[in-house]
Amino acid sequence: MIGRITYMELRTGLKWLLIFGLLVTIVSISMPMIYPTFRDSLTEELEGANKVDLELPSEDGGMIVLSWEPLENATSYMVLEDNRSSMVTAKIKYLGVETSISFEKDFEEKRYYAVTAEVAETSDPVLIGIASTEEGEDPFQDLLKNPAYSGLTGGRSISMLEAKGFIALEFFSWWWMLAGLFIAYLSVSFIASDFENKRMDVMFSTPISRRRYLLEKFTAMSIIALFIILVAIGGLAGGLGNINALHEFSAETVFLSLIGCLPFLMVISAVGMLTAVLFQKVRVGMGVTFAFVFAEFFLYTFGNFSKSLEWMKAISIFNYWDYSSVIFDNIFKTENFIALTVLAIVLVIIGIWVFEKKDIPT
Amino acid sequence: MEQEKAIIIENLTKLYGKHVGVRNLNLTVNKGEIMGFLGPNGAGKTTTIRSSLALISKTAGKITIFGMDSHRDSVEIRKKMGYLPGDFGLISSVKVRSYIKYLLSLSNYPSTKKMTSLAERLELDIDRKTNELSKGNKQKVGIVQALMADQDLIIMDEPTAGLDPLMQQEFYRILREEQKQGKTIFMASHNLAEVEKVCDRVAIIREGHLEVVEKIQSLQEKTGKVLEVEFSDAISVDEFQIRGVSEIQEDDGKLTLTIHENLDDVIEAVSRHRILNMNLRTYSLEQLFLKYYTEENRKRGVA
Repeated sequence: MIGRITYMELRTGLKWLLIFGLLVTIVSISMPMIYPTFRDSLTEELEGANKVDLELPSEDGGMIVLSWEPLENATSYMVLEDNRSSMVTAKIKYLGVETSISFEKDFEEKRYYAVTAEVAETSDPVLIGIASTEEGEDPFQDLLKNPAYSGLTGGRSISMLEAKGFIALEFFSWWWMLAGLFIAYLSVSFIASDFENKRMDVMFSTPISRRRYLLEKFTAMSIIALFIILVAIGGLAGGLGNINALHEFSAETVFLSLIGCLPFLMVISAVGMLTAVLFQKVRVGMGVTFAFVFAEFFLYTFGNFSKSLEWMKAISIFNYWDYSSVIFDNIFKTENFIALTVLAIVLVIIGIWVFEKKDIPT
Repeated sequence: MEQEKAIIIENLTKLYGKHVGVRNLNLTVNKGEIMGFLGPNGAGKTTTIRSSLALISKTAGKITIFGMDSHRDSVEIRKKMGYLPGDFGLISSVKVRSYIKYLLSLSNYPSTKKMTSLAERLELDIDRKTNELSKGNKQKVGIVQALMADQDLIIMDEPTAGLDPLMQQEFYRILREEQKQGKTIFMASHNLAEVEKVCDRVAIIREGHLEVVEKIQSLQEKTGKVLEVEFSDAISVDEFQIRGVSEIQEDDGKLTLTIHENLDDVIEAVSRHRILNMNLRTYSLEQLFLKYYTEENRKRGVA
């Protein structure tokens, strides 16, 4: 419902909106522009990984041969073994001056070997490369299959060497936080500060129902959410156009991936409004709403870890703003868009119901 | 007759947990009168008023305003009602003019004529920003917004708080003019003198109970005025034993007495002596309770 309250809300929030809009513009334009530099340096680094060669035994019980290119100035080499490409649980396999080792294959699953060199002049070891027992596998790609990353990309294995992968990981993984928390902050404070600053008595001495008050505030929040999304769409498309990457990541994809965020932000806004009328304090409402956003995020990432935790995904609003489907598969899930919109409406109705029951404190 | 009443409060009870806001309060405000609602801080005045506006729920009882239910028909009622809260905030960093216009638009009242004239009379500069206002000026904004939409019923909670005496006088004049136009005014105050000045009737509330509803005139007759006179010559207490005068005390040439009626006889008696100083004052609310209502209660065998 659009009316005088919506208008007043937008007017009083204009300063914040412009500051935030500027921030979104800067980040969404500059993010794609970082991409070419990032891609080039990453490609260079990945080429280094080829300096380690792993030969698998031809028959069971044979020996694995791991060899690497010698590094000038190296005083010794170290081989680390792990079953994860991230090498976070690595054990030392070898320490010495040889550039080739062989050992028995006494395991079934895959292993990763990272070779580093001790160089006399420097104290930090130099990475020579990473090799995997899995044939034809790129260890860096496997790193991206790490659940921590796939949680952000809907369980997909994606390449940071493509504009799509880079934008999905580097832009969208923080965009939800930036936009979500901004909307949470505004929707809580726009209502709770009316309680805290004792503006409710005068407001409700005019013939405005509590329902209309909340609906108008919600409309204002939805307009604000739409505004920052449109700014981000413009910025991101502009940035991608600037690096001539729109053939890889089209303006339409930018639009559909970000517009799916509108009902997502409307749900956050409705939760913010609900907590504001429930607790009537900016701080408490903000704490609860922020906690809600983070809890939903963790539910989604945990839900991506394993099949048995998939139910967590189903109850997370992040699951229904599926930007990776749009980016990687070109599928815009209208049903998800509708589901989030319905959820937002239901939450607003609950908010109205709670507000109509509550006393306005003095 | 139902249509002659602006507000009918029946058995209103509001509890905040164990704390009693008001209990079993019955009160009627007639159309066209200025009714004072008098009581010390925390007596339940604000609770009663805010229940009438449906800002808070009732625990029990019924409030009817212009024949409509206070809570069910709240929005309809508020089309005919202006309200000045006892404590309120303004939208900050906007001009008073735009804030007030915003409120007018919420009330669907397009004319700014009354608002401008009220602001002028109260010497309120509406081109200032809301966050630059002093306490008194903020209160003026509250008064203006309560009256500007030309509502039939105006409820005010401590309207003169923060106003200087000159502004208070102007405010009382405005209230009387409103009354002449047929408006009903229900005004909470803890200041007996203020209520005496402008109200036709007064309801006195204490600790959530309605103590009494009286016409101002009969209240004045009952409570009387306190006269203090300092004389330079000797006087005798017996000289002032006049009908309608009580509590006569003399202490070192200083006479204190309470006048209920026959003020001219008292003045005549006083004028027979050389007067150094003289002061006639109203009972304070506290004195009123101490003196009059505890006696009433005793008579009723309550306290």
